[in-house]
Amino acid sequence: MEGHPYGYNIPISEKTKSVPWEEKVRVIEEVKSDFRYEEFLFGCLNCGVCTASCPSNRFFDYSPREIVQRFLEEDIEVLYDMMHEYIWACSQCFTCWIRCPFVNNPGGLVIIMREVAVRNAFEATKDLLKPYGRVLLKVMSTGNQLSADMLQPDFFPDWGPKMLDNMENVRAKRMAVPFDVGKAVKTAWEVSLETAVEMYHIWRETGIFEMLEKLDPNLYNVIMDIVEENEERWEELMEEEEEE
Amino acid sequence: MGHGKSPYLKYADPAPFPILNKHSHYDHLFEEMHELEEKGEILVYRITEENKPVQVYTRTGRIKTIPTAKLWHHKSCGQCGNIPGYPASIFWFMNKFGYDYLNEPHQTSCTAWNYHGSGTSNPVALSAVWLRNMHQAWKTGYYPLIHCGTSFGSYKETREQLIFNKELRDAVKPILKKLGRLTEDGRIVIPQEVVHYSEWVHANRHKIKELYEKEGKAKGIDVSNVRVAIHNACHVWKMMADDYPYDPEVYGGQRPAASTAVVKNLGAQVVDYSTWYDCCGFGFRHILTEREFTRSFALQRKLKVIAEEVKADLIVTHDTGCTTTFEKNQWIGKAHGMYNPVAVMSDVMFSALACGAHPFKVVQLYWNCSNYEPLLEKMGITNWKELRKEWEDTVKHIAALEKEGKYDELMEFFKEYDLYEPYSRTSDGFKRRRSATADMPLFKS
Repeated sequence: MEGHPYGYNIPISEKTKSVPWEEKVRVIEEVKSDFRYEEFLFGCLNCGVCTASCPSNRFFDYSPREIVQRFLEEDIEVLYDMMHEYIWACSQCFTCWIRCPFVNNPGGLVIIMREVAVRNAFEATKDLLKPYGRVLLKVMSTGNQLSADMLQPDFFPDWGPKMLDNMENVRAKRMAVPFDVGKAVKTAWEVSLETAVEMYHIWRETGIFEMLEKLDPNLYNVIMDIVEENEERWEELMEEEEEE
Repeated sequence: MGHGKSPYLKYADPAPFPILNKHSHYDHLFEEMHELEEKGEILVYRITEENKPVQVYTRTGRIKTIPTAKLWHHKSCGQCGNIPGYPASIFWFMNKFGYDYLNEPHQTSCTAWNYHGSGTSNPVALSAVWLRNMHQAWKTGYYPLIHCGTSFGSYKETREQLIFNKELRDAVKPILKKLGRLTEDGRIVIPQEVVHYSEWVHANRHKIKELYEKEGKAKGIDVSNVRVAIHNACHVWKMMADDYPYDPEVYGGQRPAASTAVVKNLGAQVVDYSTWYDCCGFGFRHILTEREFTRSFALQRKLKVIAEEVKADLIVTHDTGCTTTFEKNQWIGKAHGMYNPVAVMSDVMFSALACGAHPFKVVQLYWNCSNYEPLLEKMGITNWKELRKEWEDTVKHIAALEKEGKYDELMEFFKEYDLYEPYSRTSDGFKRRRSATADMPLFKS
């Protein structure tokens, strides 16, 4: 039987098999060196309560117990393989965390693994996050994840006929929202320029732009155009105000 | 670990309900926070009498202080972008109660929805974003109230990581310094409590009931026959689970109290169902790019169960993602013979309706895809069609003024508009040309 004898029944991919052992060790060590790792993993009874209450487990081949067990057994091969697609099934609800008698946080381990997967720009991660580009563009350039103009009925036909009605004449409807900062269409609320510029500084200093460049160079370029334009506008405004 | 003398760490004595986790690791952060403040490393942004504090219990029996007035609104991108009646209902109550508050454009989202969905961030960035927003609130003198459940969970987690990890504090400090987001003597500003809006609703539940009795009932509204299924949001009560209200009046203190308590207080019927513990299926990335999972989970584990077991009229939520997931994923159930229409809205939206708020101008049900009309009828809001027409006329009027370029008249119109909350309530007289995102003709010079 292919797969892991203790329950990870997904065959290890040929791609994982072809990666040099040292590289796999390096990636898993990157996960384990995160300061949160020791705060998220304590021990495991193998009771399975995490998996029994996991929403993703009901519809995907995914088990938080497997994540915990593989780390405790230091199963480099399986962990490395998991980092390509397996971990993206997690819903990040943290039901596993509140239920675990050991207070393990499998959802927390997954978020470290995802972060490392993005930082290392795995091909599977790039493919998986492609449809998510619109969100990344919005959040990185404005600090808002969602806006009225993103909810176009064409993208969400499964949300039903009321959705069509909702989005008709959306600009006027947003204008009628009874608080000023909520009248925006392209952002959830209106964000001041200085706030956006401060956020760009945070992205730059913490390596987030670098992460994006590796993940999707085209998207990165589009984001950087907006960032640079807003930064220039801000500088000009500052100069104008000084003159005034 | 802390020295046990924190002014922020107090417990109810005797314990108000059976407590399983008396020596919570999480609660020690209040001792540690005090110690860091004494060392001069952080400044604890305190809740004062000006904030009209109300005390509630957490799961560990800790007394959590909830500020109710003079609040800085940390808005939610999902709520403002997709459910604008959600924050509008919060502001409506604040105006009704005469509470001072600030709602300004100098705020980013927590960016944690993105982090949980895509992994494209890290703890230093998340900390810097949080601390920048908290510093802005502190600078204005208004205490932060967090609207979004994910922001609330993420900020509680980020605070714990910052308090217990010097390396994280050392990494974030230079960034904040460059932004001018430290105190004058170089300290990080950390709020005494991270407070979610549902905790504010919980703390105000008696006032909300009074308003319902006085104004809602006067309009013929009656919620006593409304069957309400409660869905608690995962990031609100499962992330940093020891920091959320529990109360002996709600399931003997063994389930989260907020939302359930206000619905009970209003006299509606809270109905229990077997999958109350489950998440909604939102999944952060899934709701946008793996929707078959989200809708399958929402339909099979929640909507079907609620319909079959308790036949609820309404699902009450207290977060952005759950509200969206449940209201948007009903219609598609028709394709699977699993259409169980039910109204979906947050605790504060339902409370506002009960207290007589306009269902469309304030609660903005226009954006809601769920079957809310039968609920309005059952509540006694039988003129909802007229109210909807009133709202549609308002939208037409606004569109016409905009088309004709009558911006002065538009501004005048808004001044008269129901509980309008203008830019004048910002910390620095916000100049519109300074907007990063202005896209409305209203703001054209």
